[in-house]
Amino acid sequence: MKRAILIATGTVGGLGAVLAITPPTFTSTESSSMALPGSSAAPVATPSAASSVAAAPTTPAKSGSTTKPTTVKPAATAGAQTQAPVVAAPATKAVSGTFTGDSVDVRYGFVQVKITVENGKITDAQAVTAPSGRNDRWTQMSVPVLRQRTLAAQSANISGVSGASFTSYGWYTSLASALAKAGM
Amino acid sequence: MVRKRYEIHVWGTVLFLDLGSSKLGEAAIDAAVEGVKKFVYGVDEDFSTYKDGSFVSRLRRGEIAIEQCPADVQEVWHLCAAARDLTGGAFDPWAVAGGFDPSGYVKGWAADRVALSLVEAGCENVQVNAAGDLTLRGGVVEKGVAGPWKIGVVNPDNRQEVLRIFEIHDGAIATSGTYERGAHIFDPHSGTIAIGAKSATVLGPDGGLTDALATALMVAGEDGAGWFGRPELAEYSAWVIDRHSGGAWGVGSAIS
Repeated sequence: MKRAILIATGTVGGLGAVLAITPPTFTSTESSSMALPGSSAAPVATPSAASSVAAAPTTPAKSGSTTKPTTVKPAATAGAQTQAPVVAAPATKAVSGTFTGDSVDVRYGFVQVKITVENGKITDAQAVTAPSGRNDRWTQMSVPVLRQRTLAAQSANISGVSGASFTSYGWYTSLASALAKAGM
Repeated sequence: MVRKRYEIHVWGTVLFLDLGSSKLGEAAIDAAVEGVKKFVYGVDEDFSTYKDGSFVSRLRRGEIAIEQCPADVQEVWHLCAAARDLTGGAFDPWAVAGGFDPSGYVKGWAADRVALSLVEAGCENVQVNAAGDLTLRGGVVEKGVAGPWKIGVVNPDNRQEVLRIFEIHDGAIATSGTYERGAHIFDPHSGTIAIGAKSATVLGPDGGLTDALATALMVAGEDGAGWFGRPELAEYSAWVIDRHSGGAWGVGSAIS
């Protein structure tokens, strides 16, 4: 059966989207490898004409083999607007340190979030507990969400909406308690 | 041609039904939906981890063995085991402190059951939407024109914005993501946090499996692309918004 793989990346690529599988650690202080917005170190994706489709081998891969997506760089996001996120109430005083949130039982496991705060801003957040035992990192950057693919939500165009599972509920809950501990 | 929509409050969320029939009158569709209500409340009684008396809660406490549970509970147990194997353990209802929790499978599984019962009752056009996990049957008739159900995947950062539309005649679609339930917590700079993906959408024939796969992709991120090379998942597709770049990757025949 013919299978197709499509990857469209935003304006920032090459940032190591593939997760490292490392055992959970409660004392990780390694700095993030991801560039912050505005940093001159941020690599910029090379624009190409359009997203394209790469055909995977027509024979189904054997169980256990990896179908690795290959990256296709779309045209630069012309007119991309940075969405203004809802800003949390600013901290009254500049807090610094790491704060670990409560362990939250989500529907597929436990999630516990640790945040690193520098001068009242979150500079890093990571799962110290995740359902699969992963320890993943996240850092602050603006996220240009596929503006070139974005369509206005007109009820005339769609007859249903997908996208409200509560996978991340534990994150919010754990993050909220970490923020509370940070006084933010 | 009758078309009716219903909302059933169950499972801590809203189950939305959009039904069309050229044969049934409104009363007959209402009657079919009453049957659906009985079933979904029963699912809650049997499977809820929030109800001490449910079979799942009793399993979790070690009071009963799976062999002593009703057929539906046993079926979901075995389907969860299959999903665990297909995802290399990224979806693992047994890896939860407190014991077996099939919540990540049951919604999609139940949506399939609901759709089947409505089709058998005579509804040709069926959308069952269990808080973003949808089962669709027979397409939809809009303004007298028959066509596929057009299901929008919404932006986790802005629920008013549709990122992509999938056209589905018969099948299931499930999205997991950093979507809000209650208040969003935003970092001033970035928005939400996820584990392996920002949002993961899976399309395929089975609602339970699409539900489980979408959840598992949130955990595994790009590592999960390999699952879709398995023959068991030949009919499944995934579309995943990357957490870091805001770009997306996809795999499967529904993604083009």
